[in-house]
Amino acid sequence: MEPNPSLAPRSFGRLNGRGVWTLIYRDLRRYWKYGVESIGGPIVSSLLFLAVFVLALGGQGEAGGGLTFVQFVAPGIVMFALMHSGFFNGAAPLVHDKHEGMIQDVLSAPLNAFEVAAGYGLSATLNALVTGVAVLAAMTPFVALPFGQPLVALLFAVAGAALFGLTGVLIGLWADKWDHYSAAESFLILPLGVLSGAFFPLDSLPALARTLILFNPAFHVIDGVRYGLTGYAAWSPAASLAVLLIADLALAWLVWRLIAIGYKIKP
Amino acid sequence: MARELGAVNWRGLWTLYAKEVRRFLNVSTQTILAPVVTSLLFLAIFTLALGRTIPSLGSVSFAEFLAPGLIMMAILQNSFANTSSSLVISKIQGNIVDLLMPPLSPSELTLGLASGGLSRGLIVGLSVGLGMWVFIPIGLYDPVFVVFHAVNASLMLALLGMVGGIWAEKFDHIAAVTNFVITPMSFLSGTFYSIERLPGNWQLIALLNPFFYLIDGFRYGFIGHADGSLWVGALVVLTVNAGLWTLVHRMISTGYHLKP
Repeated sequence: MEPNPSLAPRSFGRLNGRGVWTLIYRDLRRYWKYGVESIGGPIVSSLLFLAVFVLALGGQGEAGGGLTFVQFVAPGIVMFALMHSGFFNGAAPLVHDKHEGMIQDVLSAPLNAFEVAAGYGLSATLNALVTGVAVLAAMTPFVALPFGQPLVALLFAVAGAALFGLTGVLIGLWADKWDHYSAAESFLILPLGVLSGAFFPLDSLPALARTLILFNPAFHVIDGVRYGLTGYAAWSPAASLAVLLIADLALAWLVWRLIAIGYKIKP
Repeated sequence: MARELGAVNWRGLWTLYAKEVRRFLNVSTQTILAPVVTSLLFLAIFTLALGRTIPSLGSVSFAEFLAPGLIMMAILQNSFANTSSSLVISKIQGNIVDLLMPPLSPSELTLGLASGGLSRGLIVGLSVGLGMWVFIPIGLYDPVFVVFHAVNASLMLALLGMVGGIWAEKFDHIAAVTNFVITPMSFLSGTFYSIERLPGNWQLIALLNPFFYLIDGFRYGFIGHADGSLWVGALVVLTVNAGLWTLVHRMISTGYHLKP
């Protein structure tokens, strides 16, 4: 008897594109399902930050590079929201899947470690970008940003979204429960995001801190995006981009290897 | 034979209170240490960002002005989080019946849960204050105002958390209340700036926000300067708390969103 062709093993070619897309699509839908919190929340909190800076300063104040303080801080606020969203959307799906046992569905699907890593990493990156664009759009009525080089800003935003999305996946793999997630958020992501030059100009720091901040990848993300949106950069944008690409590749490699050995996801 | 409880079920009340306190002490990294770190980060960025541009108020530096506001903000957020999360988790997991079945009256339930939130607010406030004291000078001008407003702020937000927690059907609802009500009200209440800097209409709006009086009176206790009237503030705070207490008591006794 001839084997039923529909029961034969499927062949995927080198990359199971449909599988990766399904995994990405699932997490995009999760994001949209909670759209009020995942988009509305960051918009409100970002506008509050902006309002506090505007109200407290009356829109006055110089921040170097010919920018008003509010023009300086707006890209920082946008990127803070984007990076936080990347972390959340990288970590939460994994913690949730592990907690509910759904991780089995991902592991038993015909996806190799690279494809699983790509699925989780890319969905976090895309969700973070959506958050960032939404916050930026909500802010533009209140702040005059020149948008000098939007593509440069986008490039840095993608690099930053991937950086924090992959960090989120890493934390999601490591975390056994939500407490671990919260600890990473409070003691790693918030300090990195806040002490990054998002909210203050570099020259308000003492000399030592100005050197140390270069080791914070969030600084490079924010400085690059600010350069794209306002034309002002505190450090070399090309060097920042190189730092980010290296960090992104290293993190992606690490996530891939951890998924390959089944770190905390396989028995 | 039925147990004799007297007018107040003290043991039940104490048990409920102890459970509420152990709940947050058990995860003190998240519930106490995390707010301390967050507040210190806020202090750092706002001092760095605004410290040079904002003129100091008399003899008080911007950091000294900001610190009481940030302590108060931590108190507000944490006492709200304590009662709201306790109730929502109980409702979702179904162990809310363990609150409703024991011989505890609505007054005892209100008091027990609210005291748990009150304790969290005060412990967090004290921890944040001590954490900041390491970095900046924090003087005490009038401790009575500090204690009065810290207690009333914790109580107000604990009660608000109970209103939210009883109303909410799932975590999303509480997240929405936190994002769209509590955070905006605590941000726009004079935490980060003196409302004298605001344009006229905004000043009026700030005066309608009860959180403003909590922060203003609390700050007065530290730096001896208040933007609004202290007596009006105390009156508003006490009235709001009495109203919220009545509301929570009513919600619990009618079983609103609690009993089938």
